[in-house]
Formats: sequence, C-alpha cells, structure tokens
Amino acid sequence: MPSTDEIYKWVAEVLKQQFHFRDADLRPQASLIDDLDLDSIDAIDLTVRLEEKTGLAFKEEDLKAIHTIQDVVDFLHARL
Amino acid sequence: MMRRLERGYRILGTGVSFAIFGIWGVGLGWFVCPLIRRVARSREAGEVRVQRVVHHTFRAFVRVMMGFGLLEANIRGAERLCKPDALLIVANHPTLIDFVLLGSLTPQLACVVKKEAWSNVFMRGVVNSAGYIPNDLGDDLVDACSDQIRRGRRLILFPEGTRSPKGGLGPFRRGAAHVALSAGLPIHPVLIRCEPPALMRGQKWYNVPETKMIFTIEVCEALDLQPLVDDCEPRGAAARKISGALRDFYAERLQTLPV
Repeated sequence: MPSTDEIYKWVAEVLKQQFHFRDADLRPQASLIDDLDLDSIDAIDLTVRLEEKTGLAFKEEDLKAIHTIQDVVDFLHARL
Repeated sequence: MMRRLERGYRILGTGVSFAIFGIWGVGLGWFVCPLIRRVARSREAGEVRVQRVVHHTFRAFVRVMMGFGLLEANIRGAERLCKPDALLIVANHPTLIDFVLLGSLTPQLACVVKKEAWSNVFMRGVVNSAGYIPNDLGDDLVDACSDQIRRGRRLILFPEGTRSPKGGLGPFRRGAAHVALSAGLPIHPVLIRCEPPALMRGQKWYNVPETKMIFTIEVCEALDLQPLVDDCEPRGAAARKISGALRDFYAERLQTLPV
C-alpha cells in the first residue's frame, strides 16, 4: 500500500501535468478552489486522471468533502 | 445649483428609463414571446426571432436613454459583430447595461444569464423564450455554449462573470477560454469603457454620476489564441493560457482606449 508521501507525489504530478502548476504552487493545505483556482471542469479532469492512475471510482458525494490537496491524498490513502 | 438640477433630471430620467425597460420586459415576456413561440416553425426558430425582437427593444431603450441625455455611445467596429463568423463575442463588463448596448448592435445575440432571471417577473418570459443559457449548469455550461455556437448562433460571454470592480478589471474565469477551445473558434473581443464610471456593481441605479455617461465601445478584430496552446496540451492548462492571454489583452487595450 502506498504511503501518503507517495500518494502526495502522484497527486502533485497530476496537478502539474494537467494544469502546469509549479512545485511552489503546491502544498498539502493548498485549497483546490481558493489557492489553485480549480473550476468544475478542472475538477472533472483531475478526477478522471486520478481514477485512471489509481483504478478507483470517485462518486460525486466523495468530492464534496475534498477541499485541499491533503484531502485528496487522505481520500486515496484510505481506499488504496 | 444648475448641476444639481441637471443631475436630478438625470436621476429622474434613469428611473423612467428603467421603468420603461421593466414594462417592456413584462410585455415581451407575457404577450410577444408566447405569440412568437406559437407561430414559429420550431423552438429554435422561435428563439432566434425572440432574440431579434430583444435587439430592437434594446435599440429603442438605448435611444430613450440618449433622448433623456443620460448617455452617449461612441462605437467603433460595430459591423464586425454582424459578420457570419463572429460567433464567440467576449466583453469586459463595467456597467449594468453592457449587454443592452451590445445587444442593440446585432440582431442575434445569445448569452449566459444568472439563474435568478428565470424567477424574475420582468425577465423570465424573455430569457426562457430567447433560449438564453442559465449560469447554473455547472460543467455542462461549456457544452451548452459550444452547442449554441455550432448551430451558428452568436454568443456573448463576460469572462469576469460579474461587473468589473470600480476602475479596473476583475479576474477572468476560464469559461470563455473553454468554449473557444471546445468550438475551435477565435474570440471576438469587445472593449467597453464608461466615463464617468456608472451603474457599477453594488451601485444603486439612482447614484448617477455628475455628468452623463459616455460609453466607448470598440469591437476588435478576432483574436485567435489557439496557437498559444499545443494540440496535446491538457484542456485545463490550455484554458489557463488562453484566459491569461485574453485578460492581458484587455488590461492593455483598456488603458489606451480613448474616451
């Protein structure tokens, strides 16, 4: 089972590839909306990429509790 | 003293103009639009016809406001709005009546409207019959906008999503960029400036400025921002590039737009 550090690296890599963020833009407590300015289309793209990478299926209600990068990491860690 | 009287006259004129607009809106929504829908051969044909009626209404309203001495409009490049390939129009949004001014320049113009309009007694009849797009479609909004354009319908988007902050330009949302990418079309930017600033966000209609509003509207040549992005670039990154470039364009050109 991957560690939270490994999962954080995956998630950061996806964010950099999808949205061209730099490492300096990303930190665990960064808010997906307020700090990274992700909109609804970005949320879909991020979800699709994470699903492809992990094989997990995200439900809409899962996404409501996810606000920060750390929330994404914790969500994936609990299910992998 | 004279200036106070003159400003008082413009407050009165603004109130009367808006009252006329509201009454027209109700009249259109309750009587004209249902009639158009009934006789149109299809829903789509009805929507286009309603948009044409809205255009003529807006033209009349602008003339009323001009007649009252409330505003003056200096417009450049208006003919570009009527070109067949000018389908994705983008504008900054300094005042309450920007859409009215732009709608008065072209016979067909669809737009995204706040969902509250569908429950507003003055607007709901028209927004529904004109086929305007509600802003609460979430991630379906881009598809709805692209669909309009693919059907050859001219669409205006305000990337700031709301009226500009006083004296400036708000942050740009990426909806217009996504629509441009999805539809594969250039953006036709319109610059709007109002001096002195008036009808701004949070401002009451009766807070008219010391002098009449002078609008400068410039319809620019099409901007093809697609070369900024690579074919294989993820759409999130592509939309950010396009939106950033678009905002830079506006920030630069608005500074030099003559009043």
